[in-house]
Amino acid sequence: MSHDGHHSVVIPAPGPEFVPHTVAHHFDTPVQEFQSAKLGFWLFLATEILLFGGLFAAYFYYHDLYPETFRVGGQQLDWKLGAVNTSVLLLSSWTMAMGVRSAQTSQKQKTMLFCALTVLGAVIFMVIKFFEYKAKTEHGLFVFPHMFDNYQVDGSSNAGSLAWFTDVHNVMVDETGAPLLHGHLFFAIYVTMTAIHGLHVIIGAGLILWIMKGVAKGRFHAGYYLPVDLVGLYWHLVDLIWIFLFPLLYLVP
Amino acid sequence: MGHHHVSSSAMFTNVLIVLLILTAVTVIASRIDFGPANMLIAMLIASVKASLVILFFMHMKWDTAINKIVFLSSFLFLSLLFIFTLADQATRRIDHPMHATKAKVSKEWAYPKPAMSEKH
Repeated sequence: MSHDGHHSVVIPAPGPEFVPHTVAHHFDTPVQEFQSAKLGFWLFLATEILLFGGLFAAYFYYHDLYPETFRVGGQQLDWKLGAVNTSVLLLSSWTMAMGVRSAQTSQKQKTMLFCALTVLGAVIFMVIKFFEYKAKTEHGLFVFPHMFDNYQVDGSSNAGSLAWFTDVHNVMVDETGAPLLHGHLFFAIYVTMTAIHGLHVIIGAGLILWIMKGVAKGRFHAGYYLPVDLVGLYWHLVDLIWIFLFPLLYLVP
Repeated sequence: MGHHHVSSSAMFTNVLIVLLILTAVTVIASRIDFGPANMLIAMLIASVKASLVILFFMHMKWDTAINKIVFLSSFLFLSLLFIFTLADQATRRIDHPMHATKAKVSKEWAYPKPAMSEKH
């Protein structure tokens, strides 16, 4: 393509409340821009599946080794809070899907409303998660506060053995009061998986707020809604991960 | 642009209702003791829910073939990770101390004294 005489493709705004979209100069057509970005984003989501997949593999491995520990561990969690959070995420996935749909159909106010509702869902989820973490920390079930208790920098006894990997706390007991083998393990896995998931919730909410800024400026409409679509995909992935986390952590099979 | 697919609101709402019902089914199924099948049932329901989210909320049903291949291939590689990890575990010597708790923990089972420290 010759450089002189090359004009960027502009997608016109469907109404006065919207602004036109100029296709990035390295793309020939809007369709090419859309499909390239989508392919890249699906690839990124594939890496996200593999990130969480490693953690799920760890879960299944240790669940099989210490089923009693996991069973009792799961009972320490409040499955009702887990079920509420599952419903909140499913609802927010619905509002996000509706938000993308509103952008596709150039409904500015509705896009704004559904994005705001999705962020509200993220906030409710994180507030519930905060109180769950708080209760678990108070019961001494988390490894984070004790992670470095056993660690000696000068190389003397127990050097380099972090509490995360040792069994010094005897955090859980079975029905008879006998401590469970590797009782900290369930909570180490619980906190690792839910914290990384929670980080995704926070990042997702931040991205939706950024989308809302664009919606306010009228950037997204039937002709161009790519960023709304991609952030929507990210949000659905957050929901997707939680669909597996809920039964595995709160209802330990 | 022909590649855009706009789904109806009713479809999204129906999917949401099914997802919420399946969440309730997950909780109820976990209350019933099916033995080792509990894990299978829980994962089966979760997989159905995940498929609904991927197909409809994420529009994968109407996406291009290349996007489908890219995303679904992650599950193929994930299955490799699971198969080799769990195959390793399943074929270890069962008298190894690592497997000491694979048997049901008895009521009289006592915790062996930790060799290291007993802080906290």
